[in-house]
Amino acid sequence: MRLDRVWMILGMACVTYILRFLPMALFTKWTVPERLRWGLEYIPVAVLSAIVFPILFFDGGGSLSLQPRALFAALPVFALARFVRSIWGCVILGMAIYWGVGFVL
Amino acid sequence: MDDRPFREGMKAATPIVLGYLPVALAFGVLARGAGLSPLEVGLMSLLVYAGSSQFVAVEMMSNGMVWFPIVLTTFFLNLRYLLMSSTFSLYFNKTPLRTLALLSAQLTDESFALAMADPSKIASRPSYVFGLQIPPQLAWVAGTVVGAFFGGLINQEGFGIPFALPSLLICLLVLQIKSSIHLGMMILAGILSLLFRWALPGNWYIVLAAVTTACAGAVIEMLRRRE
Repeated sequence: MRLDRVWMILGMACVTYILRFLPMALFTKWTVPERLRWGLEYIPVAVLSAIVFPILFFDGGGSLSLQPRALFAALPVFALARFVRSIWGCVILGMAIYWGVGFVL
Repeated sequence: MDDRPFREGMKAATPIVLGYLPVALAFGVLARGAGLSPLEVGLMSLLVYAGSSQFVAVEMMSNGMVWFPIVLTTFFLNLRYLLMSSTFSLYFNKTPLRTLALLSAQLTDESFALAMADPSKIASRPSYVFGLQIPPQLAWVAGTVVGAFFGGLINQEGFGIPFALPSLLICLLVLQIKSSIHLGMMILAGILSLLFRWALPGNWYIVLAAVTTACAGAVIEMLRRRE
């Protein structure tokens, strides 16, 4: 294995591990301040939203535009998740519509 | 030892496993194309285990970049783990640190989101979380190595496969909307992520949108308590 590849893989592994482990190590030993705890309550919804929205409104090259294929598939998935709360149902419905819309668009 | 929580976690993890496999195959193909050997692909998937930063690393390698800028980019791209790990930590203050040292190595967007869909299942139950996180990591490592060997033979664009993980994430996002404030925070974070993605270079948008939204949430909570 080439040495620069070793550095790349180990370096990526180290920085990623520090980011994953550091808060776990600190916050489980210290008492988390109340205001920080209030903010952390919204981290799951905020992170997920910040990952999902750009998928629907950015193309692969990084320009802002409606992504009709992703949007057509995403809206029914939003509705299904809201009313049925089935993870499997959502994955299958989303894939099926995305696949189907690919033939039309 | 009681292995029921572990098995319960494994069962819950199956949508993630199936969502990861096609993405893993695609990564294996690209990484091989950029010059990584199947061994290097497997090591990277096992040790780094962070899909989006692995794709970016391979892209940078194809453009002839060396290891240091790639590692630096990985750091910034994965800053969101600081936020997820912070939230996760609230549920494990009785768990020994050496257990958390292993558990946090396997944290991903998907396992975090699935765990947070019902935090009562993860609170002080590390074996459930191991069950939730080990199968996806194995699937990721195995899938990327298979992709590096045979990926060219598989059509990863068919059957709506590219939309499997987005569908999973959308469902988990909806499960997070527990109140009208959560709904507002979803919309705020969504709009901010689009704005930051459009206005700023690099991949700052997830972290910036999430931190701003969490601060807004904390302020709202503070105002509610004052009333």
